[in-house]
Amino acid sequence: MFRSPVFGFRRYLFTELALQYSKTWPDVQIMDLQTDWIVRFENVTKKYGETMDVFALDDVNFTICRGERVAIMGPSGSGKSTLLNIVCGLDEPTSGSVYFDGRKLANLNDDDLTRLRREKIGMIFQTFNLLPTLTGLENVALPLRLQGKRGRESAEKARAMLEKVGLSGRLDHRPDEMSGGERQRVAIARALVFDPPVLLADEPTGNLDSHTGDDILNLLDELHAVFNTTILLVTHNEHAADHCDRRITLFDGRILSDETKGEPVAKLRPEQV
Amino acid sequence: MFGALLQITFREWRKHKLRLTLTISGIALGVAVFFAIQTTNTGLVGSLHSTIEKLGGKSTLQITGGEAGFSQEYLQTVLSTPGVLLAEPVVETVATTVSAEREKIFVLGLDTASDLKIYADMFEEGGFIVKNPLAFTSRSDSIAVTKIFAARKGLQEGDKLTLQTQTGNKEFTVRGFFKSTGAGEVFDGNVAVMDIYAAQEVFGRGKRIDRIDLTNTPDVTVDELQHNLTARLPAGIRAVRPDMRGRSLENAVSSMNFGLTLMSFLALTICGFIIFNSFSISLNQRWKDIGILRAIGVERRNVQQMFLIEALAMGAIGSIFGIVGGFYLAKVSLLFVIGVSSTVYGLDTSPAAMDFNYAFAAEAIGVGLVASLIAAWLPARSAANLNPALALHNIETRQTESTAGIPRLLLGLGLVAAGLILTRFSTARVGANIQFFDSLMIQFGMLLLLPKLIETGARILRPVMDLFFGVEGVIAVQSIARSPRRTTSTVGALMIGLSFVFSNAAFIQSQKAALNRSIDKAIGADILVTSSEQLHSRTYHFAEATARRITSLPEVAAADALRVTSTEYGGEEVTILAHEMNAYFAISSDLLDSGNAENARAATSRGEGVLVSNNLAVRTNLNLGDVVTINSPGGTLKLPVVGMLEYYRSEKGTIFLDRSLYKQYWNDSDVDYIFMDLKPDADRNAFKDKIQTAIGSEQKAFVYTHEEYKQWVTRLIDQFFSLMYLQMVFAIFVAAIGLVNTMLISVAERKRELGIFRAIGGLRRQVVKMVLLEAVAISLMGLVAGTITGLFNAYFLVNTAAKVVAGFTLQLIFPFSFVLASVPFVILVALISAWFPATAAARLRVVDAVGYE
Repeated sequence: MFRSPVFGFRRYLFTELALQYSKTWPDVQIMDLQTDWIVRFENVTKKYGETMDVFALDDVNFTICRGERVAIMGPSGSGKSTLLNIVCGLDEPTSGSVYFDGRKLANLNDDDLTRLRREKIGMIFQTFNLLPTLTGLENVALPLRLQGKRGRESAEKARAMLEKVGLSGRLDHRPDEMSGGERQRVAIARALVFDPPVLLADEPTGNLDSHTGDDILNLLDELHAVFNTTILLVTHNEHAADHCDRRITLFDGRILSDETKGEPVAKLRPEQV
Repeated sequence: MFGALLQITFREWRKHKLRLTLTISGIALGVAVFFAIQTTNTGLVGSLHSTIEKLGGKSTLQITGGEAGFSQEYLQTVLSTPGVLLAEPVVETVATTVSAEREKIFVLGLDTASDLKIYADMFEEGGFIVKNPLAFTSRSDSIAVTKIFAARKGLQEGDKLTLQTQTGNKEFTVRGFFKSTGAGEVFDGNVAVMDIYAAQEVFGRGKRIDRIDLTNTPDVTVDELQHNLTARLPAGIRAVRPDMRGRSLENAVSSMNFGLTLMSFLALTICGFIIFNSFSISLNQRWKDIGILRAIGVERRNVQQMFLIEALAMGAIGSIFGIVGGFYLAKVSLLFVIGVSSTVYGLDTSPAAMDFNYAFAAEAIGVGLVASLIAAWLPARSAANLNPALALHNIETRQTESTAGIPRLLLGLGLVAAGLILTRFSTARVGANIQFFDSLMIQFGMLLLLPKLIETGARILRPVMDLFFGVEGVIAVQSIARSPRRTTSTVGALMIGLSFVFSNAAFIQSQKAALNRSIDKAIGADILVTSSEQLHSRTYHFAEATARRITSLPEVAAADALRVTSTEYGGEEVTILAHEMNAYFAISSDLLDSGNAENARAATSRGEGVLVSNNLAVRTNLNLGDVVTINSPGGTLKLPVVGMLEYYRSEKGTIFLDRSLYKQYWNDSDVDYIFMDLKPDADRNAFKDKIQTAIGSEQKAFVYTHEEYKQWVTRLIDQFFSLMYLQMVFAIFVAAIGLVNTMLISVAERKRELGIFRAIGGLRRQVVKMVLLEAVAISLMGLVAGTITGLFNAYFLVNTAAKVVAGFTLQLIFPFSFVLASVPFVILVALISAWFPATAAARLRVVDAVGYE
């Protein structure tokens, strides 16, 4: 797999940061910092319902390495979005452990989880989820402002990011004044403006026509080439999944298959799940 | 289909209990205040009437001569008038028990030697128990009390009862008891009866009586008898039906009633805003549901009807709660207004038993329903006009609401300008209802301009918020700017409430400034002595001899003894001030606004002219040289107006005449106030002590320096304006409910937005900060809009309302320092109001919020 020259330095930096965090947050468990993985699920189960008898995820185990592009696939109700929500700390598993960048999420409080999202995870949604009151530029600058960066500095970075996604002419437009594709580009710019190591994308092309959807996927490819961002892409779309290095397929909350490009396919038959 | 729609509506109630509670509370509050004020106004009037009717016993007519009373010699005239069956002379006063409770007791002086048939309710056979009638009548310390009062105080026959009277503390001996019915019912049974001659002596009435209660013979009608008596008595002594006497007193408190009515309309206006607010929330919460309903074939009018029926249901429930609350509120406020009417107008009355008035209740429910329908109309129309395709989309696709279009802007500006111009050029003789239309135009114009004001305010606030509060401040302001409809209703409620507060404060301040100016000009004395702590007391006066003892003290350089009373003039109860005019002009050198001071001094001192207050001149169109006709118990006075002055004691107007003339025509030498200038070397503090020594224990005197007098008057005025202060508290309270409502809408409407904010890294406390900042920004906009509207309203109140109601010409003093001082208070109210919605927003589950819809 291609590794950017920047990546080694960044890994070193993350390791240093993680060590610093471990000093600040002594209860945070730092795991295996020298490895390449960034997300790990260990026996993760998520149940819903009053009697907790609906399994959204059932004993899920996987590890995602830094810089990997992973497509999470599966039919509706298979647990894809739940998995994504658990990765970013928006939801928590009923049992099992989730590690992000060496830290066990269960040990983080709400503010820590929020900071994690703010500093390490970019998110793209099917429905774009831009703040309707803010312009494109303000939406992109928002994560930086939330991190406490000054308005002007944030605006500069946001402008540069919007240029990268080809939206330099729509800086002052509000979401309701943009097309679906433009909105998704703004969402991508917002997700990447703070240079996060992980990008979570939940059906990013689901609300777009095929041509615009292709544009967005190509953009993600380009950004991945530049930033080497780890991408978790939840999708129904085979074509979108083809842009990824690895494909995890879920069915009824369990991993049906986990295949990496160029490696032999080890599919599980449904009766084996 | 309708059943299904209603089912959806009522399911919404279950889902949004807080909104439902706040809305119903808002309606209930408005209806409660409306109902309570109607009931209080009627209760006050009813109390005045009932007190008079009960005191009058079975009398069909009463002879009165104003509050100073009239000579008892007219009793013979009355008795000799054909058609008079029974006639009872009466002296009445209010005394205070000399005890820790300082209870008021109503003392009736009656001819106990007569059979008192007119008061049979009180003294029916076996009801009036006097063991030794001879001793009762012959001894001036005899007193009979109601059985209920005796029981409360543990009084037995022969016990002593000390009362503070006009002439000091007097010890009475209880020699009789009577039933607490009829006149005995007033003041909760705190009623005493004395022999009339003893009462005249003890209360310093000389040969005067307060009234004659009489009944007609069966062969003469009341009208005929009234006609006969009018022909025989001087113009100043009138034969009136007891209910008409009540109506005359009712007139005296009309300004207070007017103020209360104004308050009830304010309550309804703000209640309307709350309902509007609530239905705007409902619309926003059900945006997508309505889209779905429309998409599956529900017609526009069905959607509108669904909202309006919901409004009616809420209106009905809120109104019923309001009626119940209002009834109890009325009970409390009746006691309050009776207190004010006693202190300011000198009208001691006993609260009548308050009956539940079904007509008012029906009216209040009607008003609540109509207000609910009107307020829900716009949101209902918006719901009906919702584009289903748009409603089914995400929040990002919602268009920024349009704010002020040019026509709306022009109409708003036009209405404000027209209202101000009409206010400026209207005269006092234009009716009050028309004048209020000017104010309504200003308010409505401001409401039309409000979205533009909000948009501009948001634009101004944005960089400020960004500078001080970062991105949370920016999002807060942007949210306001994007939803002017949601924001307008709350800023509107705040605007109306605060404008009322500020304009009332401006009115009070302008009134006080005018009063102080008037006191400086018209009451230039170094020392003022009064016989009562009330502005106008119908009970406590100085005897002339007492006044003379004070004015003859060696430190006094000039003294003016003043009697305050009232008389009917032009159909209104105006105040009469009987000054020693020569001394009055000497003490108050800059007295007149119009007229030649020297000529006026000479004419009034000789009893050949009167001065009138400017407001009387405005109200009754009087000019210098015009002749005023005053009917007194001693005959009719026709005197020219020789001077006019700024004077604010009475909103009905004041006539100043020489005391010698008053004594002659009213046969009354009592004194209420003494104005004195002291010799240059006199020590004022020592002199104040000396006054009390001079009158000994005979009576209590209240002594003030000029400044102290102004403060005392200010305190009394504040008591009168306490209703307005209540209005202010009410306005703030209701505006706070509106703010809670709006913040709830804001949070509900932006649930997804807040979820996104949290998902991309916004901390819970940043969400709280954002919602609180939004509330603060809304409150600041409300404050600015309220200040502008308050300034316009104050201009209206000072220029028009004061002129129409009282004929007062006031200079507008706007309390900018009060407005500034209210900024932290308003912000605090905003923060408190928004705390719950803010913390609720912070508690939102991000996954649910982002997946909202």
